[in-house]
Amino acid sequence: MGPLIVNEIISPNTNLLIAMLIGIGFGFVLESSGFSSSRKLAGMFYGYDTTVLKVFFTAAITAMIGLLFFSLFGWIDLSYVYVNPTYLTSAMVGGAVMGAGFIIGGFCPGTAFCALSIGKLDALAFIGGLVLGIIFFTEGYPMWEDLYKANFMGTPTMNELLDIPRGIFALGLILAAFAMFWVGEWAEKKFPREEY
Amino acid sequence: MSEVKKTKYLNPYVGGVLLGLVLLAANFVSGRGLGASGAIKSAVVTTVSLVMPSHVENSAFYTEYKESHPGNLMKSWLVFEMIGVLIGGFLSGAFAKRLKFKVEHSPKITSKRRIIFAVLGGVLFGFGSQLGRGCTSGSALSGMAVLSVGGFLTMAFIFGTAFALAYFFRKNWI
Amino acid sequence: MKMRLILASVFIPLGIIIAAVPENTTKPFRLTAGELLNEIHEGTQFISTDQIADMLVQKDPSLQLIDVRTQAEFEKYSLPGSVNIPLSDLLSEEWNDFLDQGVKMNVFYSNGNLKANEAWMITRQLGFKNNYVLQGGLNYWAETILNPQAPKSVLADDEIAKYDFRKGASAALGGGNAVVSNSTEGKTAKPPIVKKKKKKKVAGGC
Repeated sequence: MGPLIVNEIISPNTNLLIAMLIGIGFGFVLESSGFSSSRKLAGMFYGYDTTVLKVFFTAAITAMIGLLFFSLFGWIDLSYVYVNPTYLTSAMVGGAVMGAGFIIGGFCPGTAFCALSIGKLDALAFIGGLVLGIIFFTEGYPMWEDLYKANFMGTPTMNELLDIPRGIFALGLILAAFAMFWVGEWAEKKFPREEY
Repeated sequence: MSEVKKTKYLNPYVGGVLLGLVLLAANFVSGRGLGASGAIKSAVVTTVSLVMPSHVENSAFYTEYKESHPGNLMKSWLVFEMIGVLIGGFLSGAFAKRLKFKVEHSPKITSKRRIIFAVLGGVLFGFGSQLGRGCTSGSALSGMAVLSVGGFLTMAFIFGTAFALAYFFRKNWI
Repeated sequence: MKMRLILASVFIPLGIIIAAVPENTTKPFRLTAGELLNEIHEGTQFISTDQIADMLVQKDPSLQLIDVRTQAEFEKYSLPGSVNIPLSDLLSEEWNDFLDQGVKMNVFYSNGNLKANEAWMITRQLGFKNNYVLQGGLNYWAETILNPQAPKSVLADDEIAKYDFRKGASAALGGGNAVVSNSTEGKTAKPPIVKKKKKKKVAGGC
């Protein structure tokens, strides 16, 4: 049955319309959860506000468990769902660079758009920076092409890597997420910040 | 965190479940996760090919990108999704009465400093998202939902580096 | 605080369930029984021996003949350019790309109709397109193409044209009745090949 677009249940143009509806949901949820505030986002790294951690991991485990149950009921064929390819080196280096960008700029691209939509000017500056960063990457592409394509591993999933059933891995991730939430709420009490 | 502010935003767990359902819907309907930086890349490539067509022909990246993405780049899933994000964010901000032009920064720093750091962070994030094939939403969040090794790795490195560097930039936020 | 506990009490049991049940690895059928019955009733999967012979003579590159008999039978006699996928191997991974594609016209054949039609039914239910069945199988092939019977001279012109074509095809394809003849085109329209979208390539990235 699913994914609907792969099985040609909906047309490519409908898919784009749905993309927009999904985007509206995405933006709405991000904004209502407070992701339009850079100080709220950055608070995660100082322990005074762990909203990011909670929303991020709750979303990840919700979608994961949903996909696994959909697959179990035969509603979706997981082999047709896009799995991000793994390039070991670039995932690590890129992740580290993004981490630095996150703590310096206070946004990630999705939240910056969300913040821009309610009039945050620092988000506009951040998006300007994003454009520059992307141009910098594309213009200097020959310089980092080797790094970009190094250590390609195909599209492995965590459970394949660990060689355990994916349900077991999912359960482990859920337990790990709740452990992190618990630590997060403890940190919020320990490092309170009043005004922001 | 005062009580008044607390009620203004959605409970993070409720927000997380809702975000997870949005992500699930994206996977169910379109067989893919969410994303953000890809839309900016589409816009950048489109603009560059309009302004400097000859440059696009000679650049290795643009040639590769165009080969793997035939057709009109702006008519892509991510671009439409990001238009939706702008609408959705605006609606939520309008309901919660948060619409306001402002530069948000710690009382300890000036707006100018905040803007400079925002641009700097944006440059790093833009570069990193291209190198890492996706940002927090596209690679880390969507990747984790489908249990991709790359997603977990990127997520760990984003948050790990941010934590490691947090001390040096504390003045900007606290 | 409370929300976390509510969430935990929902998610942890769900996680335990998903950890406890085996993964769903069945291949979903994409056609309902009714849709399949309809296709069988119309018999659109059948391709005539004349048409195959014509495509073989023309060396049509879009034709892919698939022998679903056993390997021993395949080695004894097979149609030119065919591959051997015994019915028992039909669902193995290595043939998946071969059977589920949008480029070639796959034609199953066996001695009669039965095995080839079984192969077609299975692949069709999995939603594969462009798979067809050689009508009458090799037996009918031998009867009509390799040893065509001359029609009675009182028959209509197109019957005679068909016979001429079969004689020609027979000569070209090594039949017993090697008579050189100026064959006429006994062409029927070949079924359209349905281009299948590349499924795996849902664009991703961020």
